[in-house]
Parts: sequence; C-alpha cells; structure tokens
Amino acid sequence: MSTTDRSNGMIPSRWWDSDILYRFRRSPVAVVSGIVTIALIAAAIGADVIAPFDAFDPATANVIDARLPPGSEGIYGDIYLLGTDPQGRDMLSAMIYGLQTSLVVGLSSIALAAFVGVLLGLLAGYFGGMLDALIMRIADVQLSFPAILIALLIDGVTRTALSRETHERLAVPILIAAIAASFWVQYARTVRSLVLTERGREYVLAAKVTGVSTTRILASHILPNVLGPVLVIATINLALAILTEATLSFLGVGIPSTQPSLGSLVRIGNEFIFSGDWWISACPGALLVILSLSVNLFGDWLRDALNPKLNA
Amino acid sequence: MGFLISRLGQTILVLFVAAFVSFALFRYVGDPVNNMVGQAASLADREAMRQALGLDDPTLLQFGRFVGQAVQGDFGISYRFGQPVAQLLAERFPATLELSIVAMIIATGLGIPLGVWTALHRGSWIAQALLTLSLIGVALPTFLIGIVLILVFSVWLGWLPSFGRGEVVSIGGWTTGLLTWTGIKALILPSITLGVFQLTLIMRLARAEMLEIMRSDFIRFAKARGLRRRTIEYGHALRNTLVPVVTIVGLQFGNVFAFSIIVETVFQWPGLGLLIIQAIQFADVPLLAAYLVLIAFCFAVINLAVDVLYAWIDPRVRAAGMGRSAA
Repeated sequence: MSTTDRSNGMIPSRWWDSDILYRFRRSPVAVVSGIVTIALIAAAIGADVIAPFDAFDPATANVIDARLPPGSEGIYGDIYLLGTDPQGRDMLSAMIYGLQTSLVVGLSSIALAAFVGVLLGLLAGYFGGMLDALIMRIADVQLSFPAILIALLIDGVTRTALSRETHERLAVPILIAAIAASFWVQYARTVRSLVLTERGREYVLAAKVTGVSTTRILASHILPNVLGPVLVIATINLALAILTEATLSFLGVGIPSTQPSLGSLVRIGNEFIFSGDWWISACPGALLVILSLSVNLFGDWLRDALNPKLNA
Repeated sequence: MGFLISRLGQTILVLFVAAFVSFALFRYVGDPVNNMVGQAASLADREAMRQALGLDDPTLLQFGRFVGQAVQGDFGISYRFGQPVAQLLAERFPATLELSIVAMIIATGLGIPLGVWTALHRGSWIAQALLTLSLIGVALPTFLIGIVLILVFSVWLGWLPSFGRGEVVSIGGWTTGLLTWTGIKALILPSITLGVFQLTLIMRLARAEMLEIMRSDFIRFAKARGLRRRTIEYGHALRNTLVPVVTIVGLQFGNVFAFSIIVETVFQWPGLGLLIIQAIQFADVPLLAAYLVLIAFCFAVINLAVDVLYAWIDPRVRAAGMGRSAA
C-alpha cells in the first residue's frame, strides 16, 4: 500500500481528493468501465465529426445499398463497416447518433428526476408535518408500481391525449418527463432522511440564529451535504434510465422511429431478423449492452468507494 | 387497526386517481359521439346521442356513472376491435398469467439452487463465473434477450417458434397452451426471456441470505455439536434462507407482470401486454382507460395484501405503521 496516499492519517478536505482517485486507480473494473463510459460519451458528443455519414441527411442514404452486411461496399464505393439498415443508412453512423439520443434522454431524465426528487426531499425533510406526510405517501404509492410501467403509462396517456403531430414534436421531452417521473422517488427518500439528521446539526442552528433565510439554509448549507449520495444514485440510475428509454423506444412508444436511438434502431432491425439480417438489430443492441454495463459497473464501484462501511 | 385503516385509505386513493385519469381520457380525448356515429349523422342525431349518453350532465355525475359502470366491469367498446373491452381483457388474461407463472417457476427453480450453491462454494471459479454472469444479466435489457433467443433458436437453428402461443385448449373459457406440444414449445423462449432478470435477482438474493445465515450463531453451534455438514447446510441454513427469498419472489410478481409487456411485444404473445401496447399505438381510448383501472386495482390489492401479511407476521411493522400515521 502506498504510504503517501492513505496511511498518513489525514482526512481529505473533499471527498473527491486523493482517496477516491487512489481507489479508482486500484480497481481494474472501475478503470475499464470508466474509460468505456467516457469514450462513449465523447463519441456521442462528437457524433457530427466521428460518424462516417450523417444519419439525418437523406442524401447519404441510398436505398440500393439497403441491408448490406457488415464490411460491404456500396454502389458508390462507400465502405459500410457495420452494414446498412433497411433505408440504406450506414449502421455505424446511425448507432453513433442513436447513442447521442440515448445518452441525452438518459442524462436529462436523471437530471430532472434528481432535481425534483432532491427538491421534494429537502422540503419534506426540513419542514416535516403535512407536507412531509403528503410527499412521502405519494412516494410510497409510486414505489409500489414498477418504474417501467409508470413511464409506459405516462407516455401512453399523453400519446393518446395529444394529436399525432403534437406528440411527434414533443416525443423527446415527454419521454424524458415520463422516465423522470418514474425515478424521482429514490432521490426524495434519500435526501429526506439525510436532511432529517442534518437539520439538527450546529451549523444549521447557527445559520438560523444569525438570521439566514430558510431558502439560503436549504440551498447553500444543507444541500451541499446531501449531494454525495445523490451523485451515486444518479450514476446507478443512469444505466436504468438508458435501458428504460431503449425499452420504450423498442416498444414503439418512445422515440419515433424516424429518429435514431439505440432502442428504435433495434426495433427497426427486429423486423428483419427473420430474413437473416441480424446486424441491423444486433449492432445497436450490443452497443446498448456495453453502454449500460459500463455505466452500471462504474456506478457500483462509485457506491462501494463512497460507502465507508464497505471500506473497512 | 390504525395501520390497516391508513393502508386502506392509501389503496382507495390510488384507485380514485386511476379512475379519474381513466375517466378524463375516456371523456375528453376525442369526441365519444364522433367515435360512435358515422360521418353522415346529422347534427340533431348527434345531439340526441349526446343526450342519451348523458354527456351533457354535470362532470361529477358523469364521473360517478363511469365509476359505477367500471365496478360492474363495463368499460365500453374498443375502438379498434369493436368488442366490449371487458371481454377483450378477459380473453387475453390467461396468456399473460400463464407466461408470468412459468417464468417465475423457471426463475425460482434455478435461482434458489444456484444462489445456495454459489454461497456454499464461494471460492470456486464456477461460482465466480455465475456471479459475473448475473451481473451482466442485470445490464441486459429484456427485449434484447428475447431477440437473441429468437435469432439463435428460431432463425438459425429452427428449433422453436418465435411468435404466438401455438395451439391452445379452452377449458371453461380459460385458454391454456400447456396441454399441447406446440403450446409448450411456444412458451419456452418467452418464459425464459421473462425469467432471466428474475433469475439473476433471486440467485444473488439467495446467495446473500445464505452467506448471512451461515455466519449466524445457531449454525456455528450446530457445527460445534458435530452435525453433518449436509444436515447443517440443507436442513438448518437453507430453510432459514427461504423465508425472505420467498417473500421477495412474491413481491416480484408485479414486476414480472410489467415486464411481460416487453416479452409479449417481442414474441407477439397474445396477452394483455401486447393488447395494451397496440391500444397505445392506435389510441384505443376505452381499452387504455380500462387497463389503467385494472392495473391500479391489481397492484393496489397485491400491495395491500402484502402489507397486511407483513403486519400480521411481524408486530414491529404494525407498531412502526401506527407511529407514522400518528405523527
């Protein structure tokens, strides 16, 4: 064990200081899953640069090149590394853009869920009483329903209630809201229980006595102290949110199939597996598994690394 | 008693909210009259229809009527199938229940023994491999498992059918695929797909429980008494492991029900899940409204039953519940 990093008995001033980096370097699973996650996020951000073809530009798709197996050459001499889809779109490019959609939907829905959950958790924990009872009752009830079912029903009801054009236009925000609505409970519960212990601490009392406003106490005194666990839940939930998006899009009730997401790409490919064109669904499927597995493993590692009970 | 009343209140609230959303969908999405009469109907006819359906009554009265009809199982006619919704749901229900039960039998039948085995052979490489596999199992989305199974066993090997229920036998209105060879063959891939996630969950849970029990004092004393290892492991430890595991299995049934929607879509399994996905895609409002109420009812009843059972088994839950409702 390295003496400079750990055994000097000093408590790091911030949790992301040397200790966590040390643990990171020591865990091969964390390093590999972390690198893969970052690489995939980078690929999604740089989709316009990295993708060999523009998945949104109909001009690059050529119907004559439809459903070519991986490594084929198109009629204009283009090489399709992972084959083409039924519209003659390059699979690799579609997947990179699909990755972008999946990550955007996953990250935004987790951000929204965390925001709502943390806010409600802070309010419930700090004020208690009727507000607390109401919020926690709703959370209890919601927790008794599977998350995917809630997301599916919210999406289904809005889809039915809105006209087709309106829904097509709002599909992505609605999907984000539906997934967020099915994930906020965990944040609210965790933050509430943390706030219950924090609100009796001296620093909160001191702030109260010196006349700091309640909003300020919540936002700049208590909030920073409950963010650690929130971050861990968010990382673990990200994999789940990505899978939920993919599942809903696969079922045909998420992202419309005109827009590539990993789930909708698998959906398109699913119609062609009987004619032996396995790559159309297998390639985006494999990418989805790699993404969710690496995010999952990284989240698990982060949870263990930040949990002092397991470190002993 | 206080605990029971608060739980019952919660259940009724859930049902009320579900009924309200369902009513709002039913009443305000699209025009119910337009959906029932043809294009040629005159304005006077429409008005008469409107009167006859009671659509001009106060909203509260209409909601009351909707709930009254729902209690009697009357949810109107499906837009897409032209059949009474209640009849459609009843026809599709056996397929979903059969799929869910077989999936759970596979998951528990394999999950518990594998979990116990990996706990007892902690150091072996097979146990390590199984644990790693179960980790990957969590990251695998259900629909992909289904697609891969179809690709391998239906498309490439041609052993098993990839869609439908096969031949079904009707026994007093209940259709079952378990009595015909094609029915059983059709059930294999969907039930494995639905069971995989539960299998990994049950396996890891059984392993964790078993490890916990093996560390407890009564096992140590049993060892000190010189009992045979097999007796300790399979007699004493296993029996105590099963209690929490079986509870979780019961609680997971709701999840299996939800995930059957995905499996039914992949395998075109003619159950409730496929029906509801099609209802969403075709904006079949009466069907969706009825499904909402049905799902809320099922989950509310299951959760109420589980809570009551817990309170009955464990007095501490009762006390905690009362403390919360008093606060």
